[in-house]
Amino acid sequence: MPPVKQLWFSALNKPHVRDKYVQRVREIDKKIGSFLSFKLEEQDWTALGRKPLGGVPVAVKDNIAVRGRKLTCGSRILENFVAPYTATAIRRLENAGALVVGKTNMDEFGMGSSNEHSALGRTSNPWDLQRVPGGSSGGSAAAVAAGLVPLAVGSDTGGSVRQPANFCGIYGFKPTYGSISRYGLTAYASSLEVIGLFAVDIRLLETAFETMHAEDEFDQSSFSTNISGSEVKKIAMLDIDPGMLETPVAEAYTQAAQILRERGYVVEKVNLVTLKFVIPSYYTIANAEASANLARFDGIRYGSGSGYSQNPINLIKEARSRGFGDEVKLRILLGTYVLRSGFKDQYYIKAQRVRTLIRKELGVLLRNYPLLLMPVFPTQAFLRADSEMDNYKQRLSDIFTCLANLAGLPALSVPIGINRGLPTGVQFVAPAFGEKSLFDIARGFSEVFPVQFPPGALEIERMR
Amino acid sequence: MEQDEWAVTAELAALKLSEGEKKRLVKQAEQMRKLYLSMSSAVVDNLEPTTHASVVKNRVRKDEVKPFKDVDTLLDASNELDDRFFLIPNVL
Amino acid sequence: MNSSLKIFIGLEIHIHLKTESKMFCPCSAHYGDEPNTNICPICLGYPGTLPLLNERAIEHGYLVARALGCRLSNRISFARKNYFYPDMPKNYQISQHNHPVGIGGTIEVDFNDLGAKRIRIHNVHLEEDAGKMIHANDATLLDYNRAGYPLLEIVTEPDLSRGEEAELFLRDFQRLVRYLKVSDGNMEEGSMKCDANISINLPGRGLGTKVELKNMNSPRFVRLALGYEIERQSKLFNSGGEIVQETRLWNENRDITLPMRRKETPDDYRYFPEPDMPSFVSNAAFLKRIENQLVELPLAKKRRLQSEYDLKVEQAEFIHNDIAMVTLFEDTVKSGASARNVAAWLSSDVRKLLNRDKRTLADTPLNASRFSSLLTLVDQGRISGKIAKNVLKDIFSEDADPESIVEKKGWFQISDPNELGKIVDQVVSQNPDVIEIISGGDSKQKSWLMGEIMRVSNGKAAPELAKKILDERIG
Ligand SMILES: [Zn+2]
Repeated sequence: MPPVKQLWFSALNKPHVRDKYVQRVREIDKKIGSFLSFKLEEQDWTALGRKPLGGVPVAVKDNIAVRGRKLTCGSRILENFVAPYTATAIRRLENAGALVVGKTNMDEFGMGSSNEHSALGRTSNPWDLQRVPGGSSGGSAAAVAAGLVPLAVGSDTGGSVRQPANFCGIYGFKPTYGSISRYGLTAYASSLEVIGLFAVDIRLLETAFETMHAEDEFDQSSFSTNISGSEVKKIAMLDIDPGMLETPVAEAYTQAAQILRERGYVVEKVNLVTLKFVIPSYYTIANAEASANLARFDGIRYGSGSGYSQNPINLIKEARSRGFGDEVKLRILLGTYVLRSGFKDQYYIKAQRVRTLIRKELGVLLRNYPLLLMPVFPTQAFLRADSEMDNYKQRLSDIFTCLANLAGLPALSVPIGINRGLPTGVQFVAPAFGEKSLFDIARGFSEVFPVQFPPGALEIERMR
Repeated sequence: MEQDEWAVTAELAALKLSEGEKKRLVKQAEQMRKLYLSMSSAVVDNLEPTTHASVVKNRVRKDEVKPFKDVDTLLDASNELDDRFFLIPNVL
Repeated sequence: MNSSLKIFIGLEIHIHLKTESKMFCPCSAHYGDEPNTNICPICLGYPGTLPLLNERAIEHGYLVARALGCRLSNRISFARKNYFYPDMPKNYQISQHNHPVGIGGTIEVDFNDLGAKRIRIHNVHLEEDAGKMIHANDATLLDYNRAGYPLLEIVTEPDLSRGEEAELFLRDFQRLVRYLKVSDGNMEEGSMKCDANISINLPGRGLGTKVELKNMNSPRFVRLALGYEIERQSKLFNSGGEIVQETRLWNENRDITLPMRRKETPDDYRYFPEPDMPSFVSNAAFLKRIENQLVELPLAKKRRLQSEYDLKVEQAEFIHNDIAMVTLFEDTVKSGASARNVAAWLSSDVRKLLNRDKRTLADTPLNASRFSSLLTLVDQGRISGKIAKNVLKDIFSEDADPESIVEKKGWFQISDPNELGKIVDQVVSQNPDVIEIISGGDSKQKSWLMGEIMRVSNGKAAPELAKKILDERIG
């Protein structure tokens, strides 16, 4: 089978296929709702052929800036906001020939795990339209899963790439903190988040990551390093109380370990005593940072304003109260609270110390095991407005994903087939800069569990 | 009492909450606050807080002017302009 | 005023650092441009943008901290100070909280008649400025050119005890930042700002209730505001009234301070470490660079001008006030001119021209080589002291060298005995009555004749020679 890049290039290289492609995307996405905007722009196709990602259409989460396109972050307050510059990561992809075809739906400002917190549209899981695609990068995951694009960009603050990838049955990759410039990524929790990738194919994912990975003068927390990976023999497997996981998720988890053992790896169960502090620490920090990061949205310089008000503070309050949804307001409130004088030591500072503790324990573990196997999320894709999965429970369920964010480590969620009609998967966490180990292990799994597409997905190889 | 603390917090966050929002959000906020308090059992007194990923080398920018090329689009993005000024309703 | 009360005054001084670009973005930090021209997505707080730390701003910060004798931090980091206001694009200010550039310094200040005193510095830290709000009739206009301009805040301990001291401290600090070339330090133009805090108490009782003073746009207003406040608080204190902890604004039209309107919710800045920038570590090479930029500070300079060159207090005071003046002085002296002569010229004629033109020395075409060649011309008797004053004026107005000015204007002294003899003869022959009086024994009239000779020769007659010839002619 030709590499995915070649497949897409040779199809879209033909003008009539391009027209058909656009038409088919629109047809399919009427049901899925992955894109907030979609446009395939004119290109010099001859030049594209020579580039490593030439002709590969890419979907970009709508919290990442692409010059001249809207940057809504799934929020009312930025509903009509157009980015005046392009994120470094996207510019690098474009330079390598990738084509940004659209911006995808998301939970408002990245806050949520279901895409139900978008103010601007509803996105469905391509495997079951009654179910959510996951979040917060749900639109990007759904677009890839529905075959609309082979590659998509998202952001991962606490699992926002890996969890929707897991819900939609594709690869979801969170690189080491700082290895991809955040310039152009609308900040939610600056110290935790990175731009991440969705793909149907590991080689494509790897090429895209290598393209994006660089030190950037526009992000002083970014850096470039040799991406390595040690030879993996021993893999740690987080020992989990079976009651924590839904049956298909538990089955996939066991099955993954089984396959690893069959392939000659030593898989050893390990415990993380700090696991119980992961969620409170993560949310305390994420919300604190969010309360400052989202302060800039006041409707004065850009974004939806409030019209008239007697004084500037009321003006700002009006704009924010109208512009933000419930989940965003809640997290801003919590973040403001934990930083208040009198509470800061008990909450914010404590959480940062706990974060140090978690990083220490994980650091020791990863010195003994070059990879850690974990579930991604306790459940498969859940139903929209699921009473079993209220907002609070969703937040608690981020436990397996936000661990990597607290520690700044790379992690990859890998599909493990379809169970009861819905995708399942697991994730691997590696030491900092250990991305290669993640790609290698995923390549092995892809022989057993290649990415599958739901019925009705776009099949580029059939377009002539 | 709880309501008061959250009202002060909302004020600091420049959020005006409707009665309905207050009800919904305060309940959820209290639920999360209690979850946060579960950190109290973590023994971390001798640990430094981790505030951001540590980068080994200094990162600075040379003091050079590089004007943004598209300044006028920044003006156009505002709701109201007066000549080259951003305009907002009167203060005081 | 009850003289037994103890007064504690501390200052918070902000200076705009002289950099090409802003603190966290590459926009121009130039003043006075059209509104909203020096803006970009970063300084307007656009989503997705990150602060990009300006190297020179850090250097300037360290340099000032060093000059103020602070302990220099080997690791500095930034923090977010959170509050909402339309002039602040991100609705938080990037500042320094736990790890400022310098802490705990002292600087000696000469309060003239009040004597010299050591003032302790609490800390020196970097931060960014906000934009400008202009209040029109029914709207507020916002200009963000200034947003993100690099600021350095210097916080003193409450070691000052009079308005006069605060004023002199500020003037000395202005000289210091100008010597270091890190800021214009101009309060009237807004490149320097000063807030003060003041409390009074009985001796031995420690600090009193702190009142903050703002809106003082010159060192003089700082003195006046503090003077007013000392009197107001002393009266209150002595009459058993309560001094309220508050912020008061100086009203320069009414010469009083007035309480600032209070906010409904008290400020709570919720400082936390800026996650978008790593800490900056000052290594040995960096510190060496700072050390190399350090210069002799104003007070040391003034004392040396007096001791090394034997200048009068007022001359040293005047010269040390402007670093360009100091440089001109020392360079001119180095080229061979007499220090007292140079100092006399600077503190009289040069000073007058500067006052007349309302210019500072740096803005004039006068430099050491021109100045020393002017003085040499006088020394060599090629021009008179009176002509020299005109030459100086022409240097200022024509931006030319003294030699060429004198040449062009034909101002060289007439020292040829023949040529000068003719002029003397002319004056003598035109004033027979005066000659007669002189021969009658009233030699005082001789100086009148000398004046005539100078007038007729347009001031160019070499005075010694002219006097000699005149003596010969009239016996
Ligand atoms: Zn700028």
